[in-house]
Amino acid sequence: MSLGELLLDPFALPFMQRGLAAAVLVGLSGGALGSLLVLRRLALMGDALSHSLLPGLALAYLFFGQNVGALLVGALLAGLLTAAGGALLSRLTRLKEDAAFGALFILFFAAGIALVSHYPSRLDLAHFLFGSILGVGSEELRFAALVSTITIALLLWFRRSLALHAFDPAFHRATGGRGGLVHVGLLALVVFNLISALQVMGIVLSLGLFILPAVTAYLWVERLAAMMLLSGALAALGATVGLLLSFHLGVASGAAIVLTLGAFFLGSALLSPRHGLAAPLLARWRTGKRVLHRPD
Amino acid sequence: MAHASHNILRFRAVTVRYGRRVALDDVTADVPCGSLVAVAGPNGAGKSTLLRSILGWHPLSAGEIRIGDTHTHHQLPRFAYVPQAHQVDYDFPATVRDVVAQARWPARRPWQRLTAADHEAIDRALAELEITDLASRPIRELSGGQRQRMFLARAVAQGADIFLLDEPFAALDRRAARELTHILRAWRAQGRTVLAALHELDAAREHFTHALLLSTRLVAVGPVAEALSDAAIHAAFDESACMHEAAPPVPRTAIFPR
Repeated sequence: MSLGELLLDPFALPFMQRGLAAAVLVGLSGGALGSLLVLRRLALMGDALSHSLLPGLALAYLFFGQNVGALLVGALLAGLLTAAGGALLSRLTRLKEDAAFGALFILFFAAGIALVSHYPSRLDLAHFLFGSILGVGSEELRFAALVSTITIALLLWFRRSLALHAFDPAFHRATGGRGGLVHVGLLALVVFNLISALQVMGIVLSLGLFILPAVTAYLWVERLAAMMLLSGALAALGATVGLLLSFHLGVASGAAIVLTLGAFFLGSALLSPRHGLAAPLLARWRTGKRVLHRPD
Repeated sequence: MAHASHNILRFRAVTVRYGRRVALDDVTADVPCGSLVAVAGPNGAGKSTLLRSILGWHPLSAGEIRIGDTHTHHQLPRFAYVPQAHQVDYDFPATVRDVVAQARWPARRPWQRLTAADHEAIDRALAELEITDLASRPIRELSGGQRQRMFLARAVAQGADIFLLDEPFAALDRRAARELTHILRAWRAQGRTVLAALHELDAAREHFTHALLLSTRLVAVGPVAEALSDAAIHAAFDESACMHEAAPPVPRTAIFPR
C-alpha cells in the first residue's frame, strides 16, 4: 500500500470527510477553550460536566430523535442544572465546590444510563458514550461549523477578560470585570463544544479533545495566545491522525483520537526542553559540556 | 502639589455587612492627598473589606465613600488595586510585559489594539520599577521582589493616582521590603496616595506616614505616631492579642545537660 492510499484514500469516503471536518472544526475551538480550562484548573470539572450531559441528551433523543437543536437544548439544560446545582450546594452547605460537583455529576450520569438502558431499542448506549463517526450527517457538520465559528469569535472578542479572569480574578474585578459572567460564559461554551464533539468523540472521551492538546501546548510555550493557537492546531492534527488510525485499525474514532493526542502529550511530557521530565537531565548535560575540567 | 490639608478620599459612616456579620461598622475617616496610609488592625478587622469597598465590590449597608464629589466606584480609573502576590499562579504562560500591559486593557474596547500611548505607558512603568530588562521573561522565573515590582508596574501603568495594596509586605524578604519602601516614598513625592492593608504594626510605623486603625469600627486615624499610640493599639487588639508587639519571651521547656 502506498503512502497516498494510506493517508488519502480513507478521506475519499463521504462519511470520513464529514467526520474529519467535524473533528477538525471542534478540535480548533475546543483546543483553544481547553487551554483556559487547564489554566483555570477546571480540567476535571469539565470532564464531570461532560458526563452530566447524558440524561439531557437521552431525554432529547427519546422525544425528538436525532435532532441537533433538541440535543443541544437537552444537554444545555443538564449541564446548567449540574453547574448551578453544584454552585448552590457549595454555597448553602458545608460542601466545597469540587465535592458538590463530584456528587452531582455522577448522579446525573447514572440517571442518563438508567434512561438509556430502559429504552434499549430506541437508544444505543454505546452510541452516546463512545460516539460514532457514521452519525455525522450534514446537519451535525453544519452545527460543528457554527459552534467553532462562534466559539473562536467569542474567544477573540473576550480574549482580555478571559485572560485576566484566569490569571488574576481580583484585578479583573477591581478594573470593572464581571467574574461570574465570564465563568458561566466559559462553561456554556464548553457545553456547546462538547455537544459539537459528541458524534465523533462520544460523551466519555470528548473532553480529551480539549484537555490533552492544551496540556501538551502548556509544556511548550510561554504565552497564552501561543498556547491557545498551538492547542487548537494540535487538536486538529490529532483528530486527523486519530481518524486515520481508527479507519485502518478498526478502533472507535474517539478512542483513536484521544490515544493519538495522548501520545503527543506523553512525548512532550518526556521531551519538552523546559518543562519535560528530561529537562533537568538536559540542563545537566548542557552544563556538563561547558565544564572542561573536573577536579576528580 | 496641592496643600497638605486636601483630602482625596472621604469615608462617611461606612458600614458593610456580610449576611448578619458586620465587617465594617460606622467608619468615618479622611485620607489626605499624597499620604501613605497603613490600614492596620487584627485579623478580621475589615482591612481588606475597606479597600474593596472603595472599588465598589461590597455594597455599603450605610454611609458613603467619596472622591471629591463623586462615589469612588464611578472613578475606577483613578484607582490601582494590587492583590496579594501569592494569589496568582506564576506558572501562567505570560511574560512580565504581558502582565504590565494588562493595566491598559480595561480602557480598550474588545476590537481595539493597544495604542502607541498605551505602549509608552507600559514602557514607562517598566522603567520606573526598573524591570525593563525583565520585560520578555516568563513570570515563573521571577523572584519574590521582582514579582511585586511587576504588579506595582502594572498599577503605575494604569495611570492611577490612588493605590490600594493588599498586604504588600507579606512574603517579601528584607531586601525586597526595603525596595518596596523606596518605591512607596518615591510615589509619595510624586503626589500619589497609597492605602495598604497591613497586619504588621512595625511595618506600618516604619514605612507609612498615616495610619487607619480598624477593629471592625474605627479605632484611630491620623499621622502614624498618633494613630498607633499604645492606647489605640490596646483598644484595637484588645487583650486577645492576635498579634504580638514584640517577640514574646521564649519559655524554658527543658534543661539540657552539658
